[in-house]
Amino acid sequence: MQDGPALIDGSSPRVTGRRFEPGGVSAAGGVRPPAPCDVQLTLTARAEQVVLVRSVIGSLAESIGFAEPRVDDVRLAVTEACTNVVRHAYDGVPGRLDVSASSGDDGLTITVADHGRGLRPSLDSGPGGLGLPLMAALAASVEFGQTDGRGTTVRLSFARAAE
Amino acid sequence: MTDAPTPTAPRLEEATDIAVTPGPLVGPVLRRVVGMLAARANLPLDKLDEAVLVADVIAQRAGPYAAGAVQVRLTPGEGTLAMRIGPLSTGGAQALLEEAPDVGSIILKVADEVQVDTADDGEFLSVCVTYAG
Repeated sequence: MQDGPALIDGSSPRVTGRRFEPGGVSAAGGVRPPAPCDVQLTLTARAEQVVLVRSVIGSLAESIGFAEPRVDDVRLAVTEACTNVVRHAYDGVPGRLDVSASSGDDGLTITVADHGRGLRPSLDSGPGGLGLPLMAALAASVEFGQTDGRGTTVRLSFARAAE
Repeated sequence: MTDAPTPTAPRLEEATDIAVTPGPLVGPVLRRVVGMLAARANLPLDKLDEAVLVADVIAQRAGPYAAGAVQVRLTPGEGTLAMRIGPLSTGGAQALLEEAPDVGSIILKVADEVQVDTADDGEFLSVCVTYAG
């Protein structure tokens, strides 16, 4: 991803290209103890692992009191973000997928990171598109950054109640 | 919406690492992960339940011995699920193996392999639930 990626959708203030420094992810093996986040998963970016992430994050959203429709939103958005990693981040050999989730009074923040070739976000939501408009519709905000200067990190924020 | 990728056959012996801040979330999250990976390892229901019991013990007891997060590495194999808990501070592994009133040590009763080892960053408890067929 280029430096200072442009806004994905200039008409939607919720989706920003602001770079941020993701914490808690590393290209090294294993898991660093998460500092501010509640849950951190490190796994191989395969289709079946997306199911696991979806289940865990959904369970987390339920545990912190999200209403069922909102839990569904969280599940769907996280599934989309992880599916993008499985499909686009690595060329041939599946690599690492890092997912972290942090809950607070204002809601839930989920970060999905890969260490692959990076993505070029696009407004194109046609067949095979990255589904970014879907994530933007479900989450209060979507932010993109780089993972260790190479891969892509997506941060999704969810308020407790749908906006 | 992006079509979900076609699931491939489960790849065995790829580890999944999970870290959860000590507290009420450890149980629900660990149970989900352990249950799913135990199913993926083709463990029968009774063995799956035993694996989830181990997750419950971890959730109940590991917190005080986990600096920052309860960390577990789960590695499914064909008919087996390995769980490596740690790093834990001194005494953490023993705390997980301690007996419950009138029940005894849950982990020692249900696990097929148990091992405690110490590394630079702390203690690790390795537990394996296996279905012999």
